[in-house]
Amino acid sequence: MLTVLRDLFRYRFEFRLGAILTGCIVAFAALSFVSPYPPQDQFVVPPDLPPSSPYWFGTTSRGQEVFWQLSFAIRNTMLFGFAVAILSRLIAVAVGLWSGYRGGLADRVLMSLNDTFIVIPLFPLLVLFYFVLRDNMSWPLLALAMASLGWAYDARLIRAVALSLKTREFTQQGVFSGMRASEIVTQEHLPYVLPIVFYTTMNNMTWSIGLEVTLSVLGFTNIDTPTVGVMIYWANQHTALVAGIWWWIAFPVLFVVILFIGLFLLAVAMNEYIDPRSRLARMGGATP
Amino acid sequence: MSAGAPQPHAVPQAQDERVLAVSDLRAWYQTRHFGVSREVRAVDGVSLQVARGEIYGLAGESSCGKSTLVKTIARAIRPPLHVVGGTVRFRFAGRERDIYALSQAELARMRWRHLSYILQGSMNVLNPVRRVRQSFVDFAYPHLDQPMPEFLALVEAHLARIRLDPAVLDSYPHALSGGMRQRVTIALASVCRPDFIIADEPTTALDVVVQKDVLGMLRAVQREIRSSMILVTHDIGVHAHVADRIGIMYAGRLVEEGPTRDVLRKARHPYTAHLVASLPRIGDDTPKQSLEGAPPNLADPPPGCRFHPRCPLATDICRKEAPPLIDVAAAHRAACWVTAPPAQHAAPGAAA
Repeated sequence: MLTVLRDLFRYRFEFRLGAILTGCIVAFAALSFVSPYPPQDQFVVPPDLPPSSPYWFGTTSRGQEVFWQLSFAIRNTMLFGFAVAILSRLIAVAVGLWSGYRGGLADRVLMSLNDTFIVIPLFPLLVLFYFVLRDNMSWPLLALAMASLGWAYDARLIRAVALSLKTREFTQQGVFSGMRASEIVTQEHLPYVLPIVFYTTMNNMTWSIGLEVTLSVLGFTNIDTPTVGVMIYWANQHTALVAGIWWWIAFPVLFVVILFIGLFLLAVAMNEYIDPRSRLARMGGATP
Repeated sequence: MSAGAPQPHAVPQAQDERVLAVSDLRAWYQTRHFGVSREVRAVDGVSLQVARGEIYGLAGESSCGKSTLVKTIARAIRPPLHVVGGTVRFRFAGRERDIYALSQAELARMRWRHLSYILQGSMNVLNPVRRVRQSFVDFAYPHLDQPMPEFLALVEAHLARIRLDPAVLDSYPHALSGGMRQRVTIALASVCRPDFIIADEPTTALDVVVQKDVLGMLRAVQREIRSSMILVTHDIGVHAHVADRIGIMYAGRLVEEGPTRDVLRKARHPYTAHLVASLPRIGDDTPKQSLEGAPPNLADPPPGCRFHPRCPLATDICRKEAPPLIDVAAAHRAACWVTAPPAQHAAPGAAA
């Protein structure tokens, strides 16, 4: 695995760029552990200073440094995105593969459940969550809620592939050789759908972070935990843009964009390792 | 057939040498959707036997039930295909068992070690996103009680023996040509040295040169491990090349069966005769006759002999009663009222 990563880094421009971008963001988020101020403390620095030498990203109207606030925010947002993506991928892959392979009653039950989640309007439901839970609404809880709402489309996608895989010769061969259904699904079908899982992971992270930002900007999350959305919420509360404190909003947005681009490039490059066919397609595309 | 003449395709026929006995097997596709029941009688009353070390060729046109028959023999069936009647008995390690009476665990133990199956479309048996080595591990490893290093050494030795470069193990299937994939599939099916191999169209989609190569390899493997084989293909040329005995299927039934040479030289059933007459021969430039009509719909087969609507020799009894498969010569059976009349029916058959 390490040699694969090394080769990807050496030979794939996308992977190198993605690794550097993501690495910078991760390193930046890691800085939060050595922050001189706890994230909740206010008026620890002079407010409203533009980016300058002691305060690189400027300071907020609440007397916090944007630099240290943002490193907490990026850390929490990234953890949130990963948590939602991983949890919802687990559900989507399990439901999609099993339902597609098993068919029959299992398929019907799982897909009714799946379609129920597809038709439920997510945003009002999440707002409702907030109003019910109020102060108990922590980010792990929100991540859990979003994960259990965010798998349905991708489960259908994976099921569609599994339906096709079920009729392939190598599946029949597996059945003939006495492999259990669980073995066929995990050994033969899972590697096949992994590229799809990777792409949907990216989609899902964009979706979950975007929704989290939306909820936070509107104040429907725990506004004491700094996330990118919460930073923008406080900036709006202090009418930062009207007051000309643009750095309070610009840096969070910029860093989220860099994170997305970095993760996307990594996913694209990793996909070529996982799916040998796209490696081949790439070779065909490269020859004149 | 003169009994004393040495046969190029010598057939051990002794009863105790029998490995597979199929009797009166009926396998139908049965569906019931929204109150409409459908039944396709893809295999309808087939009986055959295969001896140890023998290659039994199964021929017939598309949709005549060849693949359904071998699927049923291997118990590799799933709904809507159901076995309606008959038995499939294998004799492995001195014990004769009905494959449909085995538990799932016993079945799993039997597969690969005793019975392996080269699926139709065998080029695609290898998972496109797994290396060939992993396919061997997935499919064959659980059936050999050996630790992994020994197993891999065995696989490599087996590949080397059939002149395949063990480097293919590290390839992905798309990196291999069709012929290579076919060979790897045959290697996969024979790595556990099974007593019985079912090969369903193992060389279809290959050009004749590669086909000859792959068939030669299949034959060599079969000789080396002394297994029996059922070889399914619609290509009579392949059967002439490889099979010891052939069975001709038409519309879900076996219509003729016998030593390859006899069936090809002295075909008794009119369908077989047409099939053989359609083969090209060097120097023969007379136009080939094609049969009128199309194969019958197996959801609603014609009464009597299923070939009668297309048969130039059809008589009254052919339209009413199905002819039995009877001996017409030593080890040669045919089912036809006209050309292979049973003694007691000889009179009505001739009178009509």
